[in-house]
Amino acid sequence: MNRGFEGGRASRHQGGGVHVLQNIRTLRVCVFHPNNADGDELMRQLHRIGCLAQAFWPPPSAPPPETDLVFIALYPDLLHQDYAWCGEKDAPPVIAVVNYESPITIDKVLRVGARGLITAPVRSFGMLSSMVLALETVRELKKSQSRVARLEEKLKGARTISAAQNILFMLRGVTRDEAYKLIRDQAMSKRVTVEEIASAIVSADAILSQK
Amino acid sequence: MADRNPIKVGILFSETGVTSAIETSLLFGTLLAVEEVNEAGGIDGREIVPVRYDPRSDSNEYRQLAERLVSVDGVRVIFGCYMSSTRKAVIPVVERWSSILFYPTLYEGFEFSNNVIYTGAVPNQNSVQLADYMTSVFGPRVYMIGSNYIYPRESNRIMEDFVRERTDGDILGERYLDFSATEDDFKRIITEVKILQPDFIFSTVVGNATRLLYRAYADAGIDPAKMAIASLTTTEVEIAQMGADICAGHITSAPYFQSVDSELNKRCVKNYFRRFDDAPPPNACWEAAYFQVHLFANAMRSCGSDEFDALMPSLLGSQILAPQGRVQLDPGNHHAWLYPRIGRANAAGQFTIVRESAQSVSPDPYLVKHSLEGELRAPCFRRA
Repeated sequence: MNRGFEGGRASRHQGGGVHVLQNIRTLRVCVFHPNNADGDELMRQLHRIGCLAQAFWPPPSAPPPETDLVFIALYPDLLHQDYAWCGEKDAPPVIAVVNYESPITIDKVLRVGARGLITAPVRSFGMLSSMVLALETVRELKKSQSRVARLEEKLKGARTISAAQNILFMLRGVTRDEAYKLIRDQAMSKRVTVEEIASAIVSADAILSQK
Repeated sequence: MADRNPIKVGILFSETGVTSAIETSLLFGTLLAVEEVNEAGGIDGREIVPVRYDPRSDSNEYRQLAERLVSVDGVRVIFGCYMSSTRKAVIPVVERWSSILFYPTLYEGFEFSNNVIYTGAVPNQNSVQLADYMTSVFGPRVYMIGSNYIYPRESNRIMEDFVRERTDGDILGERYLDFSATEDDFKRIITEVKILQPDFIFSTVVGNATRLLYRAYADAGIDPAKMAIASLTTTEVEIAQMGADICAGHITSAPYFQSVDSELNKRCVKNYFRRFDDAPPPNACWEAAYFQVHLFANAMRSCGSDEFDALMPSLLGSQILAPQGRVQLDPGNHHAWLYPRIGRANAAGQFTIVRESAQSVSPDPYLVKHSLEGELRAPCFRRA
């Protein structure tokens, strides 16, 4: 009985993957793959899954705007294709389609920044999971990138405040705590951030101390 | 000179093990259709010869016997499997040997193999209709109980989505029991149900444990008219095992019931009982097992071969008048267009059909988010 009761309902709707799955039918998918049996099978499975899929060959210089996901065939005879757009900041995630595991192929997979991989001959099984994983990985990545950006900003601000405190300490002979209070009072009365006041003090000091 | 060699086909349904009762009905449904084809002159004069083994409800046996069928016996077509785990075991074999598996059972979807023909219902052809019926007739507060494997969990996921769409919809409990669960386990569940008072119970208990659930419910003296058990897998076979008295009033959703009122069905059921003494009763999976043999025979007649490259294109898009109505194979996903029905078990051990679809519903095995508006298509899903 105990075993039967394990697991439970709480786990079902946790995780962003569920969200990705729920919206899979609104997903715009591009397929950069030669028009052959594997390309056909790829498209057919995307249609079974119910995505809005479009095939291109030869590949255009970039996927159309609003594309959510791109499949790219990386076969030995296609490795010369240039996918420069993959390096751009808001490029859609890529799932590589490979038929070799040679170092050159793997290198190309890394160069296009693939977030998922399926193998050729293309099989229907595994495609949906690869897609969800790729989208989820990118979502997580974007989340942590923006977090890192926020933290960097914050860290920079903290350095500036510390520098401004030092300046006030030298010029006014106040303690560091009192210096901080002065900066904060200024920020409040001017309705700007503490960081901005600190930054103004630091640049004023730089100008005044020029000889 | 015309080819007069017999055509060997493989049959893999368990005659022993935990799902033997329902699988035996699939076996007999298959054999009935094979005999019908042979009595009508075979496939262009060629007799169908079944090669059958008992995989004993065990996935490993399924895999080994499928391998034997295609490599030793030389069959190119297999009719078989009930539980998803057994289908998953056979698929690699038919893919490797370029043969075809005909699978007659309802399942959770999210699968496509180029070498499989799926003739049972996927969730958009049975779960959706059941959720709609139960929440609108009984109410939106559900208690879910299932066997501990993938089908119950996926079915409950879909049921939960529907229940949550309703005002006051709620999941009062969700329990999974192992296949080895005992009478006491089910008693405890029913005790909890009596305390929680849901509007209905959604059961995805399968196999021989089904009996324990309905028995515990009946013993507790709950009224099925007020709080019915809704199921996708409780068929005429399970009712025959349990006894009609403890099942009456409970609800099942399926594309076929033995009580379907069509000429073909009546004839088919009559032939079946005349041919097989003491056979398990006709049910939804039985019907799929039956009509898929005729789909195969027709397709082979038109292409003249049981080789994959000829037979599969001939199968896809083909139609047949089945006991449930005219069904067809979807060329895109290899699943069948079927007629959703809701049945209420009656005192005779049969189902009284309380709703049925006037048109066949297209299979959508990869549908994640179900919605009532999108799928019930109100005009065709009417009261019977």
